[in-house]
Amino acid sequence: MGYVAAGYAFAFGGLALYALSIWWRGRRGHG
Amino acid sequence: MIRVALLVAAKDLRIELRSRVLLWQVVPFGVMALLLSGLALGPDHAGNSSAGPGLFYLVTLFVALLMINRSQAIEGTPGTKASIATLGLDPAGVFLGKSLALAVELWVTGLVLLGGAVLVLHTALHGALVALPSILVTLGAMSAAGTLYGAITAGGDGSATLLPVLTLPAFAPLLIAGERSFSSALHGGALWEWWVILAVALAAYLAVGILLYGVLEES
Amino acid sequence: MMKQLSQRLLGPVTLVLLALTFWLGLWITPPDKIQGNLVRLLYVHPAVAWVALYVSFGTATIASALYLWKRTRSFVVDRIAYCAMEVSVVFIGLTLITGSIWGRPTWGVWWAWDARLTSTAILGVLALGYLALRRANDDPALRARRSAVFAILSAINVPIIHFSVQWWKTLHQGATVFTSTRTLLVHGSMAWTLLISFLGFTLLFFWLLRARYRLEVQRETMTSATLDEALASRRSEGAF
Repeated sequence: MGYVAAGYAFAFGGLALYALSIWWRGRRGHG
Repeated sequence: MIRVALLVAAKDLRIELRSRVLLWQVVPFGVMALLLSGLALGPDHAGNSSAGPGLFYLVTLFVALLMINRSQAIEGTPGTKASIATLGLDPAGVFLGKSLALAVELWVTGLVLLGGAVLVLHTALHGALVALPSILVTLGAMSAAGTLYGAITAGGDGSATLLPVLTLPAFAPLLIAGERSFSSALHGGALWEWWVILAVALAAYLAVGILLYGVLEES
Repeated sequence: MMKQLSQRLLGPVTLVLLALTFWLGLWITPPDKIQGNLVRLLYVHPAVAWVALYVSFGTATIASALYLWKRTRSFVVDRIAYCAMEVSVVFIGLTLITGSIWGRPTWGVWWAWDARLTSTAILGVLALGYLALRRANDDPALRARRSAVFAILSAINVPIIHFSVQWWKTLHQGATVFTSTRTLLVHGSMAWTLLISFLGFTLLFFWLLRARYRLEVQRETMTSATLDEALASRRSEGAF
């Protein structure tokens, strides 16, 4: 189950982080 | 288009003959790289000939990068770009011509490196000769690809580092097909699949070059 | 009106589908007879790989082709290609990570030169190369042209790379532990969850693309605004 958890964490977490990065880059005004 | 191609190829090869960069710089680099590849295998495996085809192609790949850079640098020398623009040369012809010149240079270097592989990597001479057609076609595909990627990265100071990162993934299937067909020539094994890869790759690069080289040369 | 509605629904629907995938995948669906709980990665890895290779990279390719065709040439499609390629890098990276995670307990190693993962890795370098190429050119038209040609070349290379790596891998060994096809009998709740995961991640791509596109427009507006300001202040100093 550890591998499954890691897989889900990377997939969902990674995409969430990317979405956050877009939002953060917009606020910083740099992109 | 063919006439322009032959004109451009002759120009590039003439420049090469006059400057002899190939002879004095690129070929020695290739030979040294081949020696390094033997050394990298370690003392126990340096004479192991099964690595020969792969190392031959790996070294040729990096040599090709240097030569692509040079092929594009020629276009940047004062006078060359201006003359091509004023003559209104068909870009497809320019693409074919530059690819042909690059191919000739790669074939010459390739033959030297092949001899080197036979000598220091103990690749069987007879097998190497049987593999020669596949080697020439692989290098031809590399030239067509290289001319395109060279045009994509021409100019600017980043091109020497940008060209490799763009071109190496494209070279990967050529390396695979080249190495596998070379090994097949040496030890037997599946051959036609690799010829399919080489033929498709070569056709694709020639098609894209003929159609889109003009777009790249737009000002 | 329909267009506006679908635009506003994109985010919420995406979130719902992804939440469903998460819940169904981790709790509701049964473990597999052979793979056990590992099968739950079925609801993540294939969908992410599908988006990476076809949806995301495909969008970048089509947008690039549209740029090269004079009738549809515009900086809008150029921007779409760039944003889609950046999202592709993320999805490709996650494909490799989830694939590697699935491979470790299956093959015993993190990297077994599986044909599909290897091809995907090369594709990742191609996508990164596209981003590097974008940064190497300032002139928008030149940058757009070069990126578009590079994207087309990359797209053509995808099947060539795939087949060459696959034949490289399989022509010698035949069916062994390292075969990449994980044949599973997918039925019932597994099939539904799989479908939902594909839909969810696909919509997520479009949601991310839209967000990234807006960011890019904002960035370009700011760059030209800063340039205008700089020119105006130079002019007022009498530099011109």
